Amino acid sequence: MTTPATTATAPVPPATACPRPVGRGRVVTAYRWEITKLAAQARTRATLAVCLVAPFVFVVLLDRQDRLPKDTLYGRWVHASGFATPLLVLGFAAQWVFPLLTSLVAGDIFASEDQHGTWKTILTRSHSRTQIFWAKALAAATFAVLLLAVLALSCLAAGVLLVGHQPLESLSGTLLPSGRTAGLVLAAWASTLPPLLGFTALGIMLSVLTRSSPAGIVGPIILGLLMQLYAFLNGADTIRHLLLVTPFDAWHGLLAAHPYYGPLRDGTLVSVGYILICLAIAYTALRRRDITGG
Amino acid sequence: MAVGVPAVEASGLVKRFGGLIAVDHVDLRVDVGEVYGILGPNGAGKTTFLRMLFGLIRPDAGTLRVFGRTWGDAGPSMLDGVAGFIESPRFYPYLSGRRNLNLLAGLDRGGADSRIDEVLDVVDLARRAGDKVGGYSFGMRQRLGVAASLLRDPRLLVLDEPANGLDPAGIRDMRALVKRLAAGGLTVLLSSHNMDEVEEICDNVTIMRTGRVVYHGSIDQLRAQAPDPSHRLMTSDDEQALRLAAGHRAVAVSVHPDGGLALRAQAADADAYIIALGRSNLAVRALHLEIAPLESLFFMLTETDPEAGFGEPAQTQPDTLTGVTS
Ligand SMILES: Nc1ncnc2c1ncn2[C@@H]1O[C@H](COP(=O)(O)OP(=O)(O)OP(=O)(O)O)[C@@H](O)[C@H]1O
Ligand SMILES: [Mg+2]
Repeated sequence: MTTPATTATAPVPPATACPRPVGRGRVVTAYRWEITKLAAQARTRATLAVCLVAPFVFVVLLDRQDRLPKDTLYGRWVHASGFATPLLVLGFAAQWVFPLLTSLVAGDIFASEDQHGTWKTILTRSHSRTQIFWAKALAAATFAVLLLAVLALSCLAAGVLLVGHQPLESLSGTLLPSGRTAGLVLAAWASTLPPLLGFTALGIMLSVLTRSSPAGIVGPIILGLLMQLYAFLNGADTIRHLLLVTPFDAWHGLLAAHPYYGPLRDGTLVSVGYILICLAIAYTALRRRDITGG
Repeated sequence: MAVGVPAVEASGLVKRFGGLIAVDHVDLRVDVGEVYGILGPNGAGKTTFLRMLFGLIRPDAGTLRVFGRTWGDAGPSMLDGVAGFIESPRFYPYLSGRRNLNLLAGLDRGGADSRIDEVLDVVDLARRAGDKVGGYSFGMRQRLGVAASLLRDPRLLVLDEPANGLDPAGIRDMRALVKRLAAGGLTVLLSSHNMDEVEEICDNVTIMRTGRVVYHGSIDQLRAQAPDPSHRLMTSDDEQALRLAAGHRAVAVSVHPDGGLALRAQAADADAYIIALGRSNLAVRALHLEIAPLESLFFMLTETDPEAGFGEPAQTQPDTLTGVTS
């Protein structure tokens, strides 16, 4: 085959005619790409749908029960005030539901590229690993925020619509000012965002390190349960403060007659610590690895 | 040949996997506009070399420039104007072919989206573009891989054994497609373990064996160095045919281990010998080409011990070749 003379002697044209996004712009394009991909996955949509519907089913089932879940915080109140429902669910969700829900995406988002052998497909399209990493981490965080918001609003709506907006007791036994209860309930849910993002980062780290979706999804749940177990067995206080499940209870301070915010502050610091460490490990591992599969 | 920046320039490239040296001080230069082949048997290091080109794995030593840019100074922009795939192309199986291209176009930006129909047409996948990739045949995925590459409107197309796993018609179509793209001015770097393919498509070739370059040069140069083709010959009287061969110095005839005779000669000398057989009342019952000349050269290059030295080809330097292809 002969070389076309025109191309052989032509000066090298500029890399591309169209301006390419640089730096942060590329993280945004990659983020959009990842979100589109997540939205196309049945699993993501199903998870959000469950978060939307499950609270209503839960309230209906609870309504038919005579025995109340009295051992759980606000369990005694579920028939008396609709505001108790979201708080009951919140106390329960922290045990393993939050780690499960967030790691469904976080634990899979990197490993699925290994599973499908698609690292080579995306990394040969002018995006760096750093850009892809932040895009994926942001997408996983977006999903975590979204599912927390959907679950919180759905629980609140289910409680208020199906049970009513009767006044609720604070954890100290006094009645909460009725106008502020909804706000307090949502604030309690919002206070679980830092540890939820901590579990998201844990899922991301396991997803990158193990390159296996099952490990990335189940790992955070098991770690969460082990931490619960440690806390339950009255482990040393300092260690308990460093566990990622402890901040899930920080909202108790918000619902006291005299609110206290210490656990919230400490919990946020601990969560940020987890997030930074897990993301740093994941980022370093992804940057260093050879993409040989696929 | 093209003056100026080469499309790909590797020098002293090394990649180790533990104790194994997958790519061992490879030098290679692909000029703009040419179709370049990297040829080698399984495990020669072709894929490893191409993975380094795409930045999927990091070289342990040496430099690699693509259009003059290195990974170190350009980052992922080094791949601007470059497209292709490594081994078999992979996509998200739960999405359709078109949706996969959509997503990749989203990563590419620069109007790639508007080219989707066009590239699907080029690879003849337009009709099945709406089906999930999970249900595609191997050949369809291979063609989708080419489509995904063309989406980037590349100046350099890198294909790792593009015909691997395709049926004969698929191989023919893939080769025709590569030739068509090359005729349009695209620079193509492709790896293969098939001499025929490289001979048919490429201008220049690097032959690798266990990570080392054992030959660099143009296909024409390679042909000139190839040994005589080897045939299997059946005659009405092989013994007499063998005796007659003694008078033809340019042909080498011996008893074939599977029966008949083995004939090794250039075409013109073989013709003269066969005519002589007829004149001596010996009928030729069959004449098969057993090993094409380039193929036998390929085997010699890749199966003999490089330490023993095959002679000239391994010493051929890329610099001396740029003149050959002009
Ligand atoms: N991830 C890896 N870990 C260890 N060894 C590897 C890895 N990838 C490649 N190798 C080794 O490197 C050598 C070159 O492999 P490579 O895949 O580059 O060969 P190839 O020329 O592409 O072969 P093929 O024609 O079979 O595709 C082989 O010996 C292979 O076993
Ligand atoms: Mg290979």
